[in-house]
Amino acid sequence: MTRRPRFSAWKLITHGLSRSPWPKVWEQHELASTYDVVIVGGGVHGLATAYYLARNHGITNVAVVEKSYIGSGGSGRNTAIVRSNYLTVEGSRFYDRSVKLYERLASDLNFNVMFEQRGHMTLAHSDSSLRTMRWRAEVNKLQGIDSAVISPAEIKELAPFLDTSDHPRYPILGALWHPPGGIVRHDAVVWGYARAAAALGVHIHQETELVGIDVKSDRVVGVQTSRGPISTSTVINCTAGWSSLIAAMAGVSLPITTRPLQAAVTEPVKLFLHPVIVSGSLHTYVSQTVRGELVFGATVDPFTSYATRGTLEFTTDLAGHMLELMPAIGNMRLLRQWAGLCDMTPDYGPIIGPTAVDGFYVDVGWGTYGFKAGPVAGESVAAMIADGKPGDLIGPFGLDRFERGTLTAEKGAAAVGH
Amino acid sequence: MSRYRLDPQPGEVIDRSKTVSFTWNGRRYEGFEGDTIASALAANGVRVLSRSFKYHRRRGLLTATYHDPNAMVQVGDEPNVRAAHQVLNEGMEVSAQNVWPSLSLDLKAVNQLVSPFLSPGFYYKTFMAPRALWPWYQRVLGRFAAGGVVNPEHHSAEYDHRYAHPDVLVAGGGPAGMAAAIAAAESGASVILVEEEPALGGHLRFGDDGDLQALANLRAAIEAQTAIEVMTDAVVAGRYDHNWVSVVQRDMAHVEERLVLARAKHLIVAAGTLERPYVFKGNDLPGVMLSTAARRLTNLYAVKPGDKAVVLTANQSGDAAVADLERAGVEIAAVLDARNGETVVEASGRKGVQTVVDSSGKRTDADLLVTAIGWTTSTALLNMAGDRPVYESRAARFLSSSLPLNVLATGGLVGDGTTDQLIEHGSAVGRAAARRAKTVKATWQGATSHAAPGEIPTLDVDDHPELFRSTTHGFVDYSEDVTSKDLLAAAEEGYDSIELAKRYTTAGMGPIQGKVEAVNALAVHGEAIGASLLETSTTTWRPPYAPIRLGTLAGRNREPLRHSPIQPWHERHNAKPLVAGQWIRPDHYGDPEAEVRAVRSGVGIIDVSPLGKIDLRGTDVPRLLEFVYVNKWSKLQVGKVRYGVMCAEDGVIMDDGVTGRLGHDRYMMSTTSGGAGGVWNWLDDWLQTSFPEWDVKMTAVTDGYASINVAGPNSRELVGRLTEIDLDADRFGYMEVRTGTVAGVTDCFLWRIGFTGELSYEIHVPAGYGLWLWENLIEFGDDLGVTAFGVEAQRIMRLEKGHFIVGQDTDGLTQGFGVGIDWAIKMDKPDFAGKPELAWQKERGGYPRLVAVQTDDPTVVPPEASQIIDASEKIKGRITSSRHSPTLERSICLAQVEEGLAQGGQRLNIRLPDGTTVAATVMADQAHFDPEGTRLRV
Repeated sequence: MTRRPRFSAWKLITHGLSRSPWPKVWEQHELASTYDVVIVGGGVHGLATAYYLARNHGITNVAVVEKSYIGSGGSGRNTAIVRSNYLTVEGSRFYDRSVKLYERLASDLNFNVMFEQRGHMTLAHSDSSLRTMRWRAEVNKLQGIDSAVISPAEIKELAPFLDTSDHPRYPILGALWHPPGGIVRHDAVVWGYARAAAALGVHIHQETELVGIDVKSDRVVGVQTSRGPISTSTVINCTAGWSSLIAAMAGVSLPITTRPLQAAVTEPVKLFLHPVIVSGSLHTYVSQTVRGELVFGATVDPFTSYATRGTLEFTTDLAGHMLELMPAIGNMRLLRQWAGLCDMTPDYGPIIGPTAVDGFYVDVGWGTYGFKAGPVAGESVAAMIADGKPGDLIGPFGLDRFERGTLTAEKGAAAVGH
Repeated sequence: MSRYRLDPQPGEVIDRSKTVSFTWNGRRYEGFEGDTIASALAANGVRVLSRSFKYHRRRGLLTATYHDPNAMVQVGDEPNVRAAHQVLNEGMEVSAQNVWPSLSLDLKAVNQLVSPFLSPGFYYKTFMAPRALWPWYQRVLGRFAAGGVVNPEHHSAEYDHRYAHPDVLVAGGGPAGMAAAIAAAESGASVILVEEEPALGGHLRFGDDGDLQALANLRAAIEAQTAIEVMTDAVVAGRYDHNWVSVVQRDMAHVEERLVLARAKHLIVAAGTLERPYVFKGNDLPGVMLSTAARRLTNLYAVKPGDKAVVLTANQSGDAAVADLERAGVEIAAVLDARNGETVVEASGRKGVQTVVDSSGKRTDADLLVTAIGWTTSTALLNMAGDRPVYESRAARFLSSSLPLNVLATGGLVGDGTTDQLIEHGSAVGRAAARRAKTVKATWQGATSHAAPGEIPTLDVDDHPELFRSTTHGFVDYSEDVTSKDLLAAAEEGYDSIELAKRYTTAGMGPIQGKVEAVNALAVHGEAIGASLLETSTTTWRPPYAPIRLGTLAGRNREPLRHSPIQPWHERHNAKPLVAGQWIRPDHYGDPEAEVRAVRSGVGIIDVSPLGKIDLRGTDVPRLLEFVYVNKWSKLQVGKVRYGVMCAEDGVIMDDGVTGRLGHDRYMMSTTSGGAGGVWNWLDDWLQTSFPEWDVKMTAVTDGYASINVAGPNSRELVGRLTEIDLDADRFGYMEVRTGTVAGVTDCFLWRIGFTGELSYEIHVPAGYGLWLWENLIEFGDDLGVTAFGVEAQRIMRLEKGHFIVGQDTDGLTQGFGVGIDWAIKMDKPDFAGKPELAWQKERGGYPRLVAVQTDDPTVVPPEASQIIDASEKIKGRITSSRHSPTLERSICLAQVEEGLAQGGQRLNIRLPDGTTVAATVMADQAHFDPEGTRLRV
């Protein structure tokens, strides 16, 4: 095991003075012929799983295979919002664990993931959404999660740029306020997990595409990659966008459709927006990065596609809705738009657990919630591999629920946006 | 006149007869009409326009175009204005942004001293301990955000959208683009020609006499062509599928900006090239500028860019700059010819260039260093069209490689040539585009190729040395303060693919998005990993090409606001508005409880026009109803109405409403107000995908009818005064429908239903007569005490009756058997939407139930969403609806509770939002009031 080089302000100063190079964040390795575990997908889920396998369970003979560079998929395309004010008891518990992990991730990984708990505000523009906010707040409170419905006056206090008057087409009637929510630097989460996992002995293989999964007598025996074969008894599918295609390599069918989700960013301006703002009625959410850019996101597109191109309509609709919320930002400029892929399941809940093929596990179907769940999913999947069975937090999310008809409660929660 | 303003130049665009005054950081200056902010400042000797993002270094003009990373300023309310593009207007208040306290004395420049510690990604390595200080670190980091300031009081001006359908849209008004537009128009195509700069011409504008003559000829030809619409100071921002093209027109006369959404049959990309900066020590000092920038200043704005210049040239542009500068009276201290291996190693100086060190080690004093070391192709639109431009080492730039059939490229994206050769190529492309536009339908239908062989001539490339970085390190990305050293360090640290290195160093993420610098970043990163990346990479650009104001994208607010035709009456009678999705409805008229009492004791009328209404005709309508509703429909007789519930495929309740059979093959379906659009889509989906052979014709008639519910014991009396339709209880019973004339209006239908629990008639009248009927009801019911009631009174009455509201008493998980309508769900039907899931639900059991609940203390109304908990505070359910009932004079609720608590008499604990707990009991019946429904059937 490589000794893990520590990052700190002191190191920053000594490196600056000596001008000595920093050690590599992760080494490149030859593809070994055998690994105990092969993780498909070098995003936050795959890398977190690798890290927790190594750190919590001492399973270090692990390969993460990524067809492009790490974080090139959903992990690098999401809007990096973290929160736990979910509608259901299961959802809020699960994401509460994720928020807790995010809170100490910087020190766990010795990599500042810049989790800024600026508060997360979901606006209500109708009395029905206000009712849902109240419901979420009451459920959250009973789980010990900081969450409350606030008035337009309190909203104005927290986010002065919001138009809380009764003029807008969809006036702001109240909001669900969730102080622990916030934003995180998504790339840093990916790199932090990668660096920490690599330091524990995990091999990260970028530019290594999975092209086949070898199954004999309903058991995984190995995988084929663009750089050669690997023999292994355990494969974890931690991909998004192509998860159903990868599962099909093992002969496993997933009830997943893939839909684009678009996002955009503006030019930077001096900070004026502290909390994360979400409007379910206007299908949009916005936060301002510490660099000064506004980051916007939307709901998934109403069609299935693997294309990661943005559409013009997304930007025109988005701008219209943003100016509804914040009329003063009309002369800010939209700089860049992009799309990521979301794997949607019938009940909007993820699919985590074993499959009919022995040794082939999935951690997929995260819809629009994958990034915020990264740490808790990684921790839970790693524990499942080590223990041989899914734990309590992920128990309800098995693939067989679609055959048993015990769908999860996420759809109701998902209906209320980010 | 300032000593920097030259005598009149042949191609100048300023009008010296018109002085424009403006302020810069509070000080008054003057320029001429036609000046940009930056040229006017340069003419006044102002060289420093900004401070850099991270180190707060002084920065001056680099490219002198829209894409100049160093020329972003604040103009009044507006942040991030491109000073080298924005034309000067009288009275403009311009100031430097991101400086503290001022541009000349910026204390944050202290960051330069600690720059060794601010290596790329330094923030990922620190600020971690102690954790308690992290919020403070965040605030400090936040102070270093880039850009200008948004004024919270800013009010957006008018913006506009326009739709256009040109045969050919040309992006780029240089010689090739102009020639393409002319040739396309001559071939009979309608053309839109878009140019980013305030005038057509591209590099010809600041060229020599020959260039200016060629430009004059091209302009004359364009003016002669009525089929060409020219848009200058406009930019093609994006190209989307099927040539859906967005164009931003800036500085319009009557609107701030306009977004043109064009469906172009053919797109010609003639975006040309941008000059690329050179990487060397001190390459960001004020006074270091590109040859095109120096030529723009001199030739377009008659501004002397410096007194004494060193010119580094590798091409004609640099050579021409030498000639232009000499003519402008700039002393040429040295010309370094990169074609002979000469280069610049360092520029130094305190507030700008003072000394230049060349590759021979010679030091030359100069206040201006002009570089002409190569070009970057503007491939953004090509990328958006699916091209993967390929690096051509001979030309030291990327060139177009493959395009779809409805896009062509010309000019610098394709090759080089004399003005005549560019015009010739552009013309050929224009003709080809016009020809293809005519056959565009065939192309879209998948024909393989309509390109006639040889229709597009080739354009050769000029040899150009590959120059990216000198022997020293300098800035690669000016907006983000990323140096070549940073990129090398990132690679060394392990961020060893260009994508990771860019993300880690943030190169290319600033407002200029690395437009002029991206290729340098690629080259430098290639150095780091010991391989030329250029050959193996391509460039990718996402829309928009140039940033677009949010106001421009939004255009005018066209969000529909829906009112019923009776709205004028509601307004006159002080209705309190309720926002219900797209609709604005009367919530109440002052006292909802009094409205309830009036209905229960006499008669009331409510405007229910927003109810979704779908006219269904055809012989297979019963099959459709059987399929989308959970209950049975095949035996519905003419004149009958039935209540139905729809479930989605997951068994979750999606909508409810009544459907009536108006004639043999004619049905009218009503939906909830909010569900109207969704139900329409739902039916259409099934009809189109699963049952295309069914004879069902659907028409959405929600807006076609105004709907008024007349409710209360006296409703029969009131309605009877206005219609000949026989309302006798025996002949027009509960859950029946009749068509006929009401208040003299023909083609009405009315059904006898009872959401409020009272005898009631819902009258649907052609929308134009809605107000008429309403006023008639008010007038003819005067002696009956007729009272208008709003949504709130209706909600109270339905709650008294225990009727659920989809989306309020149900949620995204509530399946059919959870709401007390088991009687309606016919599992013996062969199939219906949601049946398999409902079968599972029933088999599984254990699902929550909707029940009526009464609190022990009748005065306590638990707010909706109050949670029902057990002794260990575990959630067992929640209150979904609650009100004070004026009829029963007590608190009434509906609640979802776990199966085990659903029996009548079950005791519950309700946790109120204020933290207190109240006791309550589950009622035996879902209705609190008149559970037998005797009041409905009178």
